[in-house]
Amino acid sequence: MGIHYTWRCALVLLLNLVVMGLSLAVLTVMGLNFDLIGHAIAPEHAQAPRWFLGLHPPADWSPLKVLIVINVVLGGLALLRAIFRFGAALSQGHLIQAILTNLRKKIYDKLQRLSFRFFDANETGTLINRGTSDASAIPVFIDFAIVQVVILLISLGVNLTYMINIQPGLTLICLITTPLLGVASVIYSRKVRPAYEENRKLFDRVVLRLSENIQGQHVVKGFALEQHEIDRFAQANDALRRQQRWLFKRSSVYSATVNFLTQLNLVLVLLAGGYIVIRDSGNPNGMTVGELVVFAGLLQQISTQVASISNIANTLQVSLTAAQRVREVLTMPMEVQNRPNPVVLDRPAGRIRFENVTFGYKPDETILHEINLEVSPGQCIAILGATGSGKSTLLSLIPRFYDPLAGRITLDGHDLRDIDLNALRRSIGLVFQESFLFSNTVAFNIAFGNPSATREQVEQAARIASAHSFIMDLPKGYDTVIGEYGATLSGGQRQRLAIARAVLPNPSILILDDATAAIDPETEYEIHQAMDNAMSGRTTFMVAHRLSTLRRADKIIVLDQGRIVQSGTHDQLMHKLGHYSKIARMQLVDEESRYIIQARRWYEGQSDTPLPREENIP
Amino acid sequence: MKKRPAIAMLTQANKDVDIEPNRRPLSLNLYKRMLRYTRPYRGIFIALTLVVIVRAAQLPLLALAFSAVINGPIKNNHLTQLLWGVGGYAALAIITQYTLYHRLHLALLVGEGVVHDLRFDIFSHLQRLTSGFFSKTKLGRLISRITSDAETVRAGIQDSIFASMVAGGQIVVALLIMAFSDHWLFLVVLATAPAYYVTYQYFRQKLSIVHRANQESFSRLTSTLAESISGIRVTQVFARQDSNAKMWNALVSDHAGYNLATIRTSGQFSPLLELINALLTAALFIIGGWRIFHHSPGASLEALIAFFFLLSNVLEPVGILGTMYTTAVSAMAGAERIFSLLDRKPDFADPPDALTPQLKGRVEFRNLGFGYDPAKPILCDITFTALPGQTIALVGHTGSGKTSIINLISKFYLPDSGRLLVDDIDIRQINSTCLHRQMGIVLQVNYLFTGTVMENIRLGMDRTDQQVIQAARDLDILDLLMALPQGLETTVGERGAGLSLGQRQLVCFARAMLADPRIMILDEATSSVDSLTEMRIQRALNILLKGRTSFVVAHRLSTIRQADQILVLDHGRIIERGRHTDLLATSSVYSGLYQQFVLANES
Repeated sequence: MGIHYTWRCALVLLLNLVVMGLSLAVLTVMGLNFDLIGHAIAPEHAQAPRWFLGLHPPADWSPLKVLIVINVVLGGLALLRAIFRFGAALSQGHLIQAILTNLRKKIYDKLQRLSFRFFDANETGTLINRGTSDASAIPVFIDFAIVQVVILLISLGVNLTYMINIQPGLTLICLITTPLLGVASVIYSRKVRPAYEENRKLFDRVVLRLSENIQGQHVVKGFALEQHEIDRFAQANDALRRQQRWLFKRSSVYSATVNFLTQLNLVLVLLAGGYIVIRDSGNPNGMTVGELVVFAGLLQQISTQVASISNIANTLQVSLTAAQRVREVLTMPMEVQNRPNPVVLDRPAGRIRFENVTFGYKPDETILHEINLEVSPGQCIAILGATGSGKSTLLSLIPRFYDPLAGRITLDGHDLRDIDLNALRRSIGLVFQESFLFSNTVAFNIAFGNPSATREQVEQAARIASAHSFIMDLPKGYDTVIGEYGATLSGGQRQRLAIARAVLPNPSILILDDATAAIDPETEYEIHQAMDNAMSGRTTFMVAHRLSTLRRADKIIVLDQGRIVQSGTHDQLMHKLGHYSKIARMQLVDEESRYIIQARRWYEGQSDTPLPREENIP
Repeated sequence: MKKRPAIAMLTQANKDVDIEPNRRPLSLNLYKRMLRYTRPYRGIFIALTLVVIVRAAQLPLLALAFSAVINGPIKNNHLTQLLWGVGGYAALAIITQYTLYHRLHLALLVGEGVVHDLRFDIFSHLQRLTSGFFSKTKLGRLISRITSDAETVRAGIQDSIFASMVAGGQIVVALLIMAFSDHWLFLVVLATAPAYYVTYQYFRQKLSIVHRANQESFSRLTSTLAESISGIRVTQVFARQDSNAKMWNALVSDHAGYNLATIRTSGQFSPLLELINALLTAALFIIGGWRIFHHSPGASLEALIAFFFLLSNVLEPVGILGTMYTTAVSAMAGAERIFSLLDRKPDFADPPDALTPQLKGRVEFRNLGFGYDPAKPILCDITFTALPGQTIALVGHTGSGKTSIINLISKFYLPDSGRLLVDDIDIRQINSTCLHRQMGIVLQVNYLFTGTVMENIRLGMDRTDQQVIQAARDLDILDLLMALPQGLETTVGERGAGLSLGQRQLVCFARAMLADPRIMILDEATSSVDSLTEMRIQRALNILLKGRTSFVVAHRLSTIRQADQILVLDHGRIIERGRHTDLLATSSVYSGLYQQFVLANES
């Protein structure tokens, strides 16, 4: 907690102290009432009321008049107390909201900067819980641990002094139970702490079940799995309940124990206090019944506060667990980070070299082995390979989603690790296999990488990606909110938005990670021209399987089990035996269809050449 | 409450689904409905009510015993009596704490039970809702229903209902004793009742509004966070952390504003109650004192002291009631949001007499029209018949209506006009579960759940491991699945993390094979599977489609060539239909599409 909060904390404490002082004053005035009445009706039996601060009512006032004045004062004090209490609540609210807001910002900021590896390893449910409910539990911690405990201690101190003033011996007797309280609290905390951690995990599971179910709705409905899913959810839900019940039993026992211990105080006061009053009867300086009443009132107040310790200990367990979970996120090391004084490249040329790059998600499971590759600015590299051969992994090293285990990658001669991370990523446009779009307008999504882009720039990018015309067909054009009524986009449409999004910031490197996988061949054909536009002047890496795409590359590399096994142009590779020619032949049109097409073209007398020339492609 | 200016958000609010706080205070009906959830726990509830009643009597009794000891043995200077009195008091204290244990434990049990059931009901209800709902609703909002909203309900049930009962009971008992011991002072206490009533009424309105707004704002926070995490890769790729953070910060600050509004309102409420309490006390002192000074019958200092002990048993619970009231209002705001989700009717439901036929697999569209937004038709006048065992390939540009046809056959949506018949029965008349059991659906996005590959293939179907393996073997992909790090026992992360798209597709094929459906629906995700595996996939596909009525959004040449019928769609209409060779020879659009696609691969 910074200096910034220290003053606010002090203010909160101060206001609460004033409230406490006023409460005490109210209580004292109440006690005064009894003594006043008692003395007025039987001066010989009861002590005269003890006026404080030298304030003494004029002797000629009737007791009733004094009584009225005292109670007007009482009302005034109560009013003041109400005002200060409101002020204290408000300033405490401000403090907590300031801390909470700051904390939420920090968590979000941190989450945004953690590496892909972190998100591979952590489920959405737990991250959401940490950012929302766990974070919310922390102000409770602040409220209890800082404000309430301090106030509790001070008020205990004041009340105790007050009590000692009345009767020191009696006060000491009341303190006997205190160590017992401490022991009970410690035992309890030790016991339930791990249980609360477990509890949060079970809760994450419940959230995960829901989020998976919603995201996989089509599968659930398509396979009529509703009942199965309900059972699975019930399992997680029941496990949570079972565990909660275990916790409840313990917390109830604990609360009752603490309450009993405070009640024990009252028993002691009655016993010892009663004895003292009886012993002192007739002694003018001895303890009066009125004093015993006030004393008991004070003790009851203390008891309520002490009993709230049980509450505090309980809440603390919950919020400490929450705090721990938030801390785990905040202190998570950032694997991919800027080095000091990073190079800031202003639109690099796009020369990329892989030098003996070896990589694996885990150090002992290498996926890429000694990759060497040189790409000149503006070149287009296509990567081909079997499932699991390391294509996507190779591409994910370029924007530094991960760092190589050995070797290095350079951009325009600089090691990627020396380049400012944001600058590096801004110079790269990336389209994934499956594109995530935010539930916001089409224009927002296209301008995602450059929020200050003008509408013209957005439309230009959409045109490059052949998306403009379908966007104009949407209910509200570029202002249509994705995911809302009628604006459920097809895979092909989503992917074209993603391409528009990637080209908008005018990156010098373009990475298409099997970007056209979900686009139907017809649409892919349509956007080839657009992709050519997008690629021109940019170093492009693409994972592709279709010959139509592969043929556009300046160089094709074939990956097999993390090694480059073939490389060259389409024509070169077609003439060699190997993976490439085998795949290529599979995609070629069958003889029967070719025959029909040729026959028809000839019949219709379309042209001398049976095959269309590239420039005729719309 | 002031109207806040709109803030830029990462995710936009959906007016259809999002609840805007209104100014109406929360109703009693809501309260009753919430209480209905305690019914399954009636046993505990009754026990708890008894405990609460006992406790409501115990607390004033404890105070009474305390003052009796002071006014009796201590006043009379009687030591033996003191010992007896204190002993009695201690015994009463022990019983009281034992009651407290049960009171706390039972309340927690009921609270957890209710929240458990609410979560379960929400989840089960979501399973009944149709696809239209899910395409419009953000995940984060649904999550906040089972997290923060359910938690406020818990607090409401386990704290406020019973604490209010204890407090209320305590007040009644104390008031009764008061009425008997000093009816004059009792009347004074009674006279202040309107002040309390007015205060409660005033704050009921105010608190409902601020709590509703606060919870709505929190749910915005959750949904934004959920989406930020899902889209984290995109954010990092575009180095957009700062703009996102700015939007998030604005949202968080906005939420803090709502929180503060809540704190301000409840911060006025409790001190105000306390003030009224103090004023009442002052009035009682003056009137009580006046009566003593005037030697009114029954007025004495002792009676006054006793009365004030009773008074604290009225005023303290009034404060507790105030706090509980705030909790209750917040719980009701949460319950309101949960119930509005539970009350959401599915866009359509099976009729009660829905049929459960054994399907042969004949599918017929008759002059069918459909649009997600009825004002914007996607499909017009679609008519075709698929005979059992036939493969129908759907071809056309993105947005031409292929996916909509598939969605209709899957009964994810119902047609707006015309008819869709399965085995000559209107699809509306067929039980959805029965239909889906006989249907295999593989969509473009191959969704996997966390769990093993084996579990993902079996997906809750009642099949043995052996049958799962057999299904993979029948598709001739067992070796590919066994090649995974731990074979079929390989664990899949959230949304299939850890498997490549191709591997995910294989798992989905095996899943469909195991289901052994009569009708197969497939949205081919073309080159998701690399070409080296392509041949295997094609073979598997042929096996999968064989003998089943199949609808394929086709991207593979082989699939198109082998289809019994190709439907060429354009702007929601079937413009050409027939077999591959016929279409190629006679049609214009199809052969154009085909040539564009195929011939581009050659030169």
